Amino acid sequence: MNGFWTLIGKDLRLEIRTGQSTIAMLALALLVLVVLVFSFDPAFVRGPQAAAGALWVAMVFAGMLGASRAIGAENENGCFRALMTSPLDRATVYIAKLAVSVIFMSVALVAGLILVVLFFNLEFSSALIRLVPSLILGIAGFAAVATLLAAVSARARGGELLLPLLIVPIFTPALIAGVKSSGAALAGLPLAAASDWIGILVAFDILFITAGFLLFEHAANIE
Amino acid sequence: MNNRFQKILGVAALVSMLVTLWMIFAWVPTEAQQGIVQRIFYFHVPCAWVSFAAFGIVAVAGIFYLWLGGQIWDDLGHAAAELGMLFCTLMLISGSIWAKPIWGTWWTWDSRLTTSFVLWLLYGGYLMMRAMFGEGEQVARLAAVVGIVAALDVPVVIVSVRLWRTIHPAVLVTRQGGHGLEDPRMIVTLLAGLVAFTILFAWMLMLRFGELRMRTRLRMLARAIILAEYRAADAAEYRVAAGNR
Repeated sequence: MNGFWTLIGKDLRLEIRTGQSTIAMLALALLVLVVLVFSFDPAFVRGPQAAAGALWVAMVFAGMLGASRAIGAENENGCFRALMTSPLDRATVYIAKLAVSVIFMSVALVAGLILVVLFFNLEFSSALIRLVPSLILGIAGFAAVATLLAAVSARARGGELLLPLLIVPIFTPALIAGVKSSGAALAGLPLAAASDWIGILVAFDILFITAGFLLFEHAANIE
Repeated sequence: MNNRFQKILGVAALVSMLVTLWMIFAWVPTEAQQGIVQRIFYFHVPCAWVSFAAFGIVAVAGIFYLWLGGQIWDDLGHAAAELGMLFCTLMLISGSIWAKPIWGTWWTWDSRLTTSFVLWLLYGGYLMMRAMFGEGEQVARLAAVVGIVAALDVPVVIVSVRLWRTIHPAVLVTRQGGHGLEDPRMIVTLLAGLVAFTILFAWMLMLRFGELRMRTRLRMLARAIILAEYRAADAAEYRVAAGNR
């Protein structure tokens, strides 16, 4: 697992020095929320369910940007090829990339959550802590799919369009479950009220982290 | 022999489709509550069945491609995905036409509709990816990965969307154990539709698969010719060099 920490350290160092992924993700999350607020007048569209929906829209868009950047950065100067020819296990590369995506998305999401609380007139209360399971599970599931598919689409012309086209339909079940469980948490309901939805998120994560673990080698193969 | 089987299948598809059309429009009694619109059901359900079967073939072909290798699996997955998309589109359209008079709306986010729509999006993405990458070994592997991931997604989609909402009529088996088709002729017509669409699908799959196989062979042949020309050029150069010495 040595290589795992090396890869994570590399990506975090790169990010701290350039800030290219998280700043772009934060900016996109902000823009999405602004567009949502002006498209759906907050005087009519409000309440915990709407806030949860807005948060997840921002998360999906920021996540897609982050995923294409995470692999796109490796494409420069043939870094991805070097990564693949290194003695690292392909599965380790996948898990490391997945972990880095989760970290970046969490940063963007914390900022997005603060904005949602402000924009949708919610309270900074313990209800926000109850959001943690659904958000973490959602981010992990998204990153699991996105990391796998970003490796697939990175080398295509027009890959930046291809990635959302592939991710969004696959992510639909987790999106539904995430919005529902987050809405329940923001409404102040106990965690047990959303246990079905949390269960779907857990199943989604297990399924796609395993699939990514097994398939990344094929997805990222380079001749 | 392959060609002959294809012809037989084509004739069988034509005959069974004609018989099914006759049954749908002339033979089967009109459903009492929904009226004439209900007849679209005998078209709608076979489309759904065929598209699900096609998407299943895409996933199985993907697994075999990664497991055993061979362009033949990729060609099979490619052909099945295209046909699955076609029948899935027909299913969505025919369902919409039925829903307008019965539910009073073209579209509603019911669980089966949503699941079908997500499937349509999934394989739309798959085909877009193929279109963007073109041909070759790389795209075959990527298509296999996407095909498998999409198939893994289907059960999760079904469960989550069912929890989300459902109003679609359960036609074949309701919770009470009965089915909505009172007249035995309705069941026979449905079965005939299923058979006819399956034959039609098999025939179309064979046609498209055969075409893709030919394309693959042509590509390999072209590669072999280029390789042979290079070798010949190399040999000529070598002879010239040896003669000069």
